[in-house]
Amino acid sequence: MASLIAAPAGGWQAERRRAFAFGLAPALAVLLVITLLPAAALLVGSLTPLSLTDPAGTFRFDDPLVNYRHLLGDERFLGSIGTQLQLSVASVALQLGVGLGLALLLDGRSAVLRATRTVFLIPMVLPPIVVALIWKIIYTPDVSPVHRALEAAGWPVRSLIANPDTALWAIAFADTWQWFPFTLLMVLAALQTLPADPVEAASLDGANRWQLFRYIVFPHIRPVLVVCGLFRLIDSFKAFPLIYVLTDGGPGNVTEVTNYYGFIQAFNFSYWGYGSAIAMVILAGVFLLSWGIGKLGWNTHEHPDR
Amino acid sequence: MTASQPTRRHLLAAGAAVGASALLPRQAPAQGGAKKFQGVTLNVSTFSAAYPKLLQQWLPEFEAATGARVNYDAPSFPVYNQRADLELSTRGAAYDVVNVTFIYSSRWINSGWLTPLDDYIRNPNLTAADFDIDDFLAGARAPETGRDGKLYGVPWTAEALLTASSRFDLVQQAGLQFPDTTDDLVKVLRAVNKKERVAGFVADNHYGWTFVPYLHAFGGDVFRKAPDDLFPTLDTPEAVAAADYYANLLKEFGPDGAITYQPDQVTQALKQGRVNFTDSGQLHLAQLGDPATSKTVKTVKFGLVPKGPAGRFPGTAVHGLGIPAGSKNKEAAWAFIQWALSKQTTRRAVAAGYGSPARRSDIDSRVFRDKQVINGSDLAQLALDSIESASRTGHMKYRTVAVYPQVDQQLNKAIALIASGQANAKQAMQQAQAQSIAELKRAGLSL
Repeated sequence: MASLIAAPAGGWQAERRRAFAFGLAPALAVLLVITLLPAAALLVGSLTPLSLTDPAGTFRFDDPLVNYRHLLGDERFLGSIGTQLQLSVASVALQLGVGLGLALLLDGRSAVLRATRTVFLIPMVLPPIVVALIWKIIYTPDVSPVHRALEAAGWPVRSLIANPDTALWAIAFADTWQWFPFTLLMVLAALQTLPADPVEAASLDGANRWQLFRYIVFPHIRPVLVVCGLFRLIDSFKAFPLIYVLTDGGPGNVTEVTNYYGFIQAFNFSYWGYGSAIAMVILAGVFLLSWGIGKLGWNTHEHPDR
Repeated sequence: MTASQPTRRHLLAAGAAVGASALLPRQAPAQGGAKKFQGVTLNVSTFSAAYPKLLQQWLPEFEAATGARVNYDAPSFPVYNQRADLELSTRGAAYDVVNVTFIYSSRWINSGWLTPLDDYIRNPNLTAADFDIDDFLAGARAPETGRDGKLYGVPWTAEALLTASSRFDLVQQAGLQFPDTTDDLVKVLRAVNKKERVAGFVADNHYGWTFVPYLHAFGGDVFRKAPDDLFPTLDTPEAVAAADYYANLLKEFGPDGAITYQPDQVTQALKQGRVNFTDSGQLHLAQLGDPATSKTVKTVKFGLVPKGPAGRFPGTAVHGLGIPAGSKNKEAAWAFIQWALSKQTTRRAVAAGYGSPARRSDIDSRVFRDKQVINGSDLAQLALDSIESASRTGHMKYRTVAVYPQVDQQLNKAIALIASGQANAKQAMQQAQAQSIAELKRAGLSL
């Protein structure tokens, strides 16, 4: 009897699953074509000595790991990974800090706050190349209003992008300016959903502002911060326009991140095989990093009150 | 939704264009065949410079005469090169006429990415009798010629790298002459640096171009013997001494942020009189003679690049117009090149103030020579001397080998490393040498 009932039920569920799969198929097919196929092409390309100036030697697989072997001995590549990590950590930390701080300040219902919030979103919606040009002006002592103002005030500052000690920080700062609004926006949204009751209860119990933030507000927005951090971290590996316009990877190599080095190999020198190998390493790195951050258990705090 | 709208619009537009182009060839003869290229759309791309800008102004005349429509695109030099390099390498049909950039000339020509022009030039149906290809300087045609002896580009500029002083009055006040040697240059810079808030020296941070005359002057070179022996020679004692000398000019006499200066910034800085000396292409330097925008037109002086222990080796550069191998409108493209570089057009450009023509008849013309005298310096003569010296010694051969872009970048890095204090000259040049060798091996060269 039970089996008689179960069979049609299972059949109905399987039917439903099939219908879902059928409905999803076109989307999956598109996904396959636009993401997996190029990635596969990248992988295949990275196993060949593909160079656009030598079309005859394009698809040779006699030594598939040649590019990866070269990478291990390529000091410029290895150095670029360190630069990449420094830039990513610095800019993501700054973005989270500034975004979170401003979100807490701007959380409210007055019209002034709403207008201010809108203004703060401007950097994020500007095209990246425009942001880079704005900062190129700010960082060029000859034409920069900031440098002039500082000089007039008696604190002349030397060019930040020509100084190897500050160039990377200058990029991180510009990147932060562009992307802190993302964290600001996400945290503000999370703050709007913060239930009023626990806050009220805690303040009745005598919690001060810091304790309110530490024990009520922060646990509530932590998952959002983690998502922001992850998004920005992944995106930071794609840093390009700022470096291209501001420093061209210099002075020397101090702002040459892995992504930029890959670009130079592929597009300035036409070593597409080698460029693809660099891209594969970045892909693997980002994948591992995201997986590692997920494993840290940060995102098990969806119910902090449990 | 928003994304799909433009796509659909593009699709419709493309469909309309295809439809229209299918109709037009049949209509053209009906109009009497006077307009040979009615309905053809030519995509022309060069980098932004004086001559391309003049052509852009005169385009409507070409369009009216031939019936072709021209999409004209002239981004900045590095952007153009990257775009064109990529497009040519895929043998795409996106461009019909391109600028054959000097440092890419061998790579583009000898990889078969461009169309040989000899058959077009020889064909009297396609080329006017007075075009006279031999009127273009032999030294300018050489880098546009492939290993097969065929011509792949018609030169529109043959320019030289010269030394300029925007505030020569300061040098005179110090009782000194225009520097003739590398030692003189340092002496002069010591005397004038920071006088009246004018920094001493700056150069385009494309050091693979601006530094090399000094590398040669000190007795160094880029390769052992280009184009036959491409083993890099960046770590020789001469090369190290030259790099040390040059980076020091930037470090000791440069304005703040000197190593971030790009060509337009250098020109601006000299026009505004913020920096005194530079070594720069003549096309850029000619702008210092423009009274409308240059504050230093009354104090500027030009000279050849300085002589070093090994002699004087001025840099030269040639750019020409060529037709990509993938172009679908080659005849119309040739008509465009012929128009753009006809005697009439180049003469008109010279009359409009164009500073570095490649036609002998223009260079010898009175109009040109008179215009090239800026505050007493004869730019044209300096440039001719430079170009002749380069064709005599062959010292520019390093520049048109296919792998030069890779080494070029190492030189940019090395000078920046030294000038920013991250490495001494020896370390930086040894690093440039090692990395150049690695890059050349990756390019398949056996060294």
